Amino acid sequence: MTAVLQLDEVGVTYGRGATAFAALQDISLAIEPGEMTLLLGPSGSGKTSLLQVMGCLLRPSRGRVRLFGETLAADLGVEAMAALRLAHIGFVFQHYNLFPTLKAWENVAIALDIQARPRATQRDQAMRLLDRLGLADRAEHYPSELSGGQKQRVAIARALAGGPRILLADEPTAALDGKTGQGVAGALHALAHDEGVAVVVVSHDPRVEPFGDRVLHLEDGRLVDDRRPSRSSA
Amino acid sequence: MTPLDASRFSGTSLLAWRNLSHDRARFVVTLVGVLFAVLLMGVELGLLLGFARTTSGLVDNTYADLWITPAGTTNVDIAGRLDLRRRFEALAVPGVESVDMLMMQFAFWRKPDGGTESVSVVGFNLAGGLARPWNLVEGSIEDLSQDDAVIIDQLYARKLGVTALGQTIEINNRRARVVGYTAGIRTFTQSPYVFTTHRNAQNFTFFRPDQTTYLLVRLKPGADRAVVRDALQARLGRVDVWFAADFARAAQRYWLITTGAGSALLLAALLGLVVGIVIVGQTLYATTVDRLPEYATLRAMGAPNGYLHRVILKQAAISAVFGFAGGMLLVALVVLASAGSTVAVAMPAGLVGVLAVLTLCMCALGALISIRRVTRIDPTSVFQ
Repeated sequence: MTAVLQLDEVGVTYGRGATAFAALQDISLAIEPGEMTLLLGPSGSGKTSLLQVMGCLLRPSRGRVRLFGETLAADLGVEAMAALRLAHIGFVFQHYNLFPTLKAWENVAIALDIQARPRATQRDQAMRLLDRLGLADRAEHYPSELSGGQKQRVAIARALAGGPRILLADEPTAALDGKTGQGVAGALHALAHDEGVAVVVVSHDPRVEPFGDRVLHLEDGRLVDDRRPSRSSA
Repeated sequence: MTPLDASRFSGTSLLAWRNLSHDRARFVVTLVGVLFAVLLMGVELGLLLGFARTTSGLVDNTYADLWITPAGTTNVDIAGRLDLRRRFEALAVPGVESVDMLMMQFAFWRKPDGGTESVSVVGFNLAGGLARPWNLVEGSIEDLSQDDAVIIDQLYARKLGVTALGQTIEINNRRARVVGYTAGIRTFTQSPYVFTTHRNAQNFTFFRPDQTTYLLVRLKPGADRAVVRDALQARLGRVDVWFAADFARAAQRYWLITTGAGSALLLAALLGLVVGIVIVGQTLYATTVDRLPEYATLRAMGAPNGYLHRVILKQAAISAVFGFAGGMLLVALVVLASAGSTVAVAMPAGLVGVLAVLTLCMCALGALISIRRVTRIDPTSVFQ
């Protein structure tokens, strides 16, 4: 299988001189399509920095990032990075980051609008995505009228709207109760397996672990473990 | 507020509208700011235009192609004397069809109750046809042929102590009788125009029968205006010969620029613009800061900066449209109210267009700080 995303000896350092802090050191890994990869590690281990590098949100201080085999230039501009995110990457955030003034379907449609999809088709596409995630009946509701699990599924629908090949989720179950969290983790797992999307999930949540096809463990900015657990529990 | 039908509007329009309508109190503050800025700009610019029209009204309402004025004349309201024989010299210049005379001189008007006002006596040669009172609403031009007859404007009747036609007063201690009213003929100097015949005007203002103030020239069809003007200037010597439009502009320049009146009005209009920019800037910025996490989310999703800018600019445009509508409504009320006063607020379609453009620019400028803020937004902040 060809890696959609590859990191070679990536390092991220914040600050300079005596105050410099190495958030990531010599990270080399490849993310495969159709897999749900879990990124685990204690607080401050560099999970979020790694997710940001993977998501073309943060330029690494060292090393090389390859997206679909193409090396990203070290001096890639912010607009070019935004264009890459728009074309290939979807994000799911811990606190959903839905637009509170937009209805559920409008939140999904906004992702289509950014991609300049035809306005006439945006509502239908958004509704199809919400339907897939079991939220068709909540489409006309504002985020404040949705439960945590429903909000996160709207966020997943929004992340999928652009048809990304990589989906990065930051603690997507942290704010959800047990059953809802499992439901969201299951939805992400299904996305990887049914749609071939490369899903990377940063999580502290042990409930998510059974859904991971692969588990990466970070400590002090270093990748200390990379394993593929047996699939029996998911 | 009515939610927009999202399937008919772009995402940026939808976000812009919802961002504004979601925080109604702040939106109302923005609209009130724009509204008063439009009101201030509209009234001041309307006054400026109204004054400009007033200062050149006498020139604009004649049928002359050229004006011959005493040398050094700067405006139509203040001028020296011309020898009437110049009229015949002018008539001899090729291309001149007719030359008419026009009197204009300040005088004292003694009201029936004994008070005194300054007036501008304007004397027409009724037989000439190049100039006469306009907007006549009561009485007739023919009534002016009587020795003491004058016509005044309704706007100044009260100021001049005139309560009815036929009333007698004194101009420079000579008896005069009001035989008609015009409507809406204002003077910038606030010395009301008193229309009469050229002969009467000479009498009222102690001009000799061979003296006048201006000579109005009508050209023959096809005559080259510039050539005739130069020929008249050369022939008549120590006078000024103007194209009518140039003389009108000179009058406007004199009263509005030389006296500083125009600058004061422009400054007040500019103040309105600045106030609008500050209010729109402040409220839009506050809205933007409140929604920074949403802008960061858009950016993380891959929205280009231009997308974020469009949201903010559309918020500014929505504020501009609603504020402009409200502001123009108030301006229209002021214009209506000014119709019956001696100070005119003019609001032609062109000025409405200028105000619309100014309002949009004002709101766009107000949006700049917000645009600058979201341009610097760090999309990684969505993970904090």
